[in-house]
Amino acid sequence: MAEIQNPTWKELLQQFNKGLEKAIDELEKRDAENIPGAKEALVQRLNNMKLHFPKNNGDIFIKSINDKIQNAFFPNTKIFSEAFDKILKSRSHEQDFIINELLNGFVTSKAKAIASGTQGPIINRMVEAFSKRNDFNIIDHQFYAMFGDPNKPRHYIKNQLEELVKMFGLVSKELVVKKDVRRSEEKVYTFYTFPDDIIEILEEKYLIIDEELGYAYVSDAFDRNVFICMFLANVSINRDDIKKIGGSYTINGISAIFALILLLSFMPKLSVDETNPILNDPNFNEDNMSVIPKSWMMRQVLDPLFEPLIKIIAYRLGGGLWLTKIIDSEINKKIMNQIRFLLKDVNKWILGELVRVEIPIFVEIANIFTEIVVGYDES
Amino acid sequence: MSYKKKSTRMVKSGRKREKWTDILPRYLTFISHMRPILRETRRKIIELDADLLLDIEILDKIRQEEEKRNIRKVRALSEFYTMYRSNVYDIIKDFILKYRETIPIIDIKDYIIEFLYESIGALNVLRHITNPDESSLEKTFLYVLTKFIEERLFSRGRNIMIIYNKLLKYSSDLYECQRHILQPHTYYREKLERSDFFEIPGMSPKVYQLINNITSLYNLDPNFGEFPERGNQELPMILKTEVFNPYIDSIANAEEEAINQIAERIGLRVIDEIFIAPKEDLVDIMLENNFIRENKQSDEKIRLLPKLSNETLILYYLALASQRRGFLSKELINWISMNFAFLIYMGILKWKLSDQNIFYPIFKDLQTNEKVLPYLMKLVCFPNYLGLDKLKIRDSPQYRKEIFNFIGSQIDNLKEFINEIADYCEKFDKERKNN
Repeated sequence: MAEIQNPTWKELLQQFNKGLEKAIDELEKRDAENIPGAKEALVQRLNNMKLHFPKNNGDIFIKSINDKIQNAFFPNTKIFSEAFDKILKSRSHEQDFIINELLNGFVTSKAKAIASGTQGPIINRMVEAFSKRNDFNIIDHQFYAMFGDPNKPRHYIKNQLEELVKMFGLVSKELVVKKDVRRSEEKVYTFYTFPDDIIEILEEKYLIIDEELGYAYVSDAFDRNVFICMFLANVSINRDDIKKIGGSYTINGISAIFALILLLSFMPKLSVDETNPILNDPNFNEDNMSVIPKSWMMRQVLDPLFEPLIKIIAYRLGGGLWLTKIIDSEINKKIMNQIRFLLKDVNKWILGELVRVEIPIFVEIANIFTEIVVGYDES
Repeated sequence: MSYKKKSTRMVKSGRKREKWTDILPRYLTFISHMRPILRETRRKIIELDADLLLDIEILDKIRQEEEKRNIRKVRALSEFYTMYRSNVYDIIKDFILKYRETIPIIDIKDYIIEFLYESIGALNVLRHITNPDESSLEKTFLYVLTKFIEERLFSRGRNIMIIYNKLLKYSSDLYECQRHILQPHTYYREKLERSDFFEIPGMSPKVYQLINNITSLYNLDPNFGEFPERGNQELPMILKTEVFNPYIDSIANAEEEAINQIAERIGLRVIDEIFIAPKEDLVDIMLENNFIRENKQSDEKIRLLPKLSNETLILYYLALASQRRGFLSKELINWISMNFAFLIYMGILKWKLSDQNIFYPIFKDLQTNEKVLPYLMKLVCFPNYLGLDKLKIRDSPQYRKEIFNFIGSQIDNLKEFINEIADYCEKFDKERKNN
């Protein structure tokens, strides 16, 4: 009920409708398609969206963003373990590309965002540091020995470890040794591991706990994306603390990537002629890929769609706070421009055609749209 | 007056041109120390009555006795020896402790012997991976495995078209691996713009993104202009500004300044300082592989319509790197050779060890990896193998540590490729034995 009376939401829906109108106008003027009927299919889809999206207070958006996108990549909760669990569960080979891109999205939005260029490789260190031991701990001295540069002061590596500990919310325990073997001096070792609730989640697939021997091994599935999921979970639970999550660039970056996911999910599938060379291309798999119109990627069509869509996503993810952080300027246009070239592993080019890999998130969102349209037609 | 001839070659101080006969023994040092430990352990276990295995203290005693026999003089070797043996015994003890209630001890003993046998077999292959005098190369694992991987990820050929076509043939299964070996994880150390135009650095994430931008812009809405080398044809062109337009806060400034070099690496060129267009050799490659279509217009001119795939430009980059393999940057050489060494090592392990082998972790242990991989990397760089400049392989302890990072960055496609390499090992071994 609150949504119905919410003028901001209403305004955003109206803006999106206007955007659709503009996009349709632009589409009528230009054509980037080489498949007969592709442009018409896209125009029809945009018209359908115009007709159905505002219904029931933007029900399609609410279901797609709240139930699907948030649940898979940006859970709406304050509990870290819950957020982490949900993101981890949405992992698949292809969806991993999205998870990776979400991290890279921050990198490309601004040089000094949360995950800067050098932090990516450091995440690899975490994987190896945890894989090395059979108690699922990282020990500070061992970490320094593994990754420290003998030509640089130790504080570099210390700072790196501290940063990682903070970023991934690791918990620490200290072990005091009265006399160490080498110098017979007192030495303090700090052990870092994950909080218990996270270990419980990892146990299902990524961590093998041998209670008999008291060992905890990481499995082959334990990889860098486990950490990227943690990073995303961390951002998602701190969404109200803008400083903590890297400022407005993060908000703009993440909203734009989700807007791209949403848009990709709504694109109609095209049927290609049986003589189309794409059907013989070994990279094209008819079972899990579909050709979609490419005209929507033209700046003239995309800009009017993306601008309101990014705001809609921002509003649904972070309410008014996030909405006010959407940069309404040339920078925003640059972000939109940047985003259209992302997710290239699931929104790929094959012989000049745009192909969508039918990963679960696209299919689930597309189903919401289909259900509502079919329901409307029946009624 | 001194008659000592001065070297004309500039070699950094402290760096010697290492010969095959210098590196191979270093590679073999640790491997040849691991095998006897496993063989001795196996002999001890065979001799031991199965029931005695239930008493863990007996194993400790055997180990202590074995340690007394340690006659290594070199400290590093002696330390490694002790570490390795204690790891082997710890694993055996853990295995017994874990299964003694559920599996008959006689079967446990058989399992341990079998796992040790497999491990000795793996070390045997690693030890005889090549011949010291490099004779009958094509019958050695190092040679055939390097060539097997090279054919798929870093093909050779007389010209760039041949190399490109070979890479494209394998891209449907191994594109992620092909892309991976172009992307060193130490990309932040690379300089995009080099005084030496010929040197090829790795592909940074931002350059990768730029290539995606360029691919999309060609497919979406290209301009067309005269093909400088072919008067009756029109080339697809995109605006340079459009490629860099999306970047905020000048974060792609370095790439923008180095656009001529970046373009060259993916088969493109900058025309009139404004447009980015394909070079003639890329056009030929694209025509042959359906990435461009000829369209005859009413004015009799042939317009070349781009139909690029994700991999079109990336594979050109890889093909060029392969063709100019003598001029790769330090980071890229280290990265490529590290991947090759890792794939060969893991492929052999996958072939020889069963998945449940309890000694697998020792082989995958970083302490073992850092003893084996750096030398294997150098070996694969020799002219008969990859033909890369092995002087650029770093020797510093810091660099050894980077192997840890590298292993953490494995991708699924690499794991699939390792299985393929293991199957090939089996096939090659059978063929070798039959001949």
